[in-house]
Amino acid sequence: MVSAIDLGQLFLTPTIPGEVWSSLIVMLIIAILAIIIGIQAKHQDPLKKPKGLLLIAIIGVQFFDKFVEGLIGTRIKWMGGFVMGIATYVFISFIFSLCGLPSPMTYMAVPLSLGLITFVLIHETSAKYTGLKYFKRYVDPIPIFLPINLISMWAPLLSLTLRMFGNAIAGFVLMTIISWGIDSLAGIIIPFMGSVGGWNVGSIILNPIITAPFHAYFDLFSGFIQTVVFISLSTIFIGQELPEEIDVKISEKGDVI
Amino acid sequence: MGNAIAAAIAILGVMPSALGEGMVCAKAIEGISRNPDAVGTIRSSMILGCALVETTAIYSLLISILCLFLG
Repeated sequence: MVSAIDLGQLFLTPTIPGEVWSSLIVMLIIAILAIIIGIQAKHQDPLKKPKGLLLIAIIGVQFFDKFVEGLIGTRIKWMGGFVMGIATYVFISFIFSLCGLPSPMTYMAVPLSLGLITFVLIHETSAKYTGLKYFKRYVDPIPIFLPINLISMWAPLLSLTLRMFGNAIAGFVLMTIISWGIDSLAGIIIPFMGSVGGWNVGSIILNPIITAPFHAYFDLFSGFIQTVVFISLSTIFIGQELPEEIDVKISEKGDVI
Repeated sequence: MGNAIAAAIAILGVMPSALGEGMVCAKAIEGISRNPDAVGTIRSSMILGCALVETTAIYSLLISILCLFLG
């Protein structure tokens, strides 16, 4: 029998890992930004030039629309907005460790959720455009391939998830090793400053100088590249399920050529 | 001890990935020297290709870390 106290302990004890809180904070930041931009866009005089946050948002929307158009054309209307939202979340998550809080990407559930979004969208798009023929993909080209197809359908999910998670965890491990190295170096060069809680005080001075370029590479550059790779692959995977684009040209009279 | 040996064997998987990345860069530079006007397009494709090639190395790294800490 579960008593009320047990239930209270289940929800009140801090069993939620820090990365999930970070993820919630990132979502909150994006939501607040989106609300501010929405209010600005509502009050914007269309005859005047936009400026500030609204200008950045407009440039971003145009960029992502063009990006999607270059990859899969304009066949899915919502793709630009979806890609922009995902890209913002992934990039802010990657650079979130610069604030001193744990990056959400180092917790496996977060990249797995992002991968699942793409995975579900791939199958949803396929089912939407092919109808009942959707099930043909499992017995393609002959029914004996069913077990192979059932295994290979998980490949995009696995590769998308592990790529982001692996990159984030690799950066995290390397930064930790560098920090350890700096700490023992400080113990040798400037030992007279003493130590607090097992860490040399001298490493507080050395750390910001030495780790800054590594943070720039492992957090900023790696995060940017992984964002681009993730949104490109998601767009291409979803675009693959679309039917062939038919070039329809309409003459001045309205006839299809 | 067994963990460390397994991790060392797993991390060997980064070798072909490094070779592949070298090939990507070599071909990109070749392309730039043939057509210097296309440097922007080639550079962005090269970085994307490098990131994709790097993935296999990262799988090895992940398995290596798993062997070390969870094996």
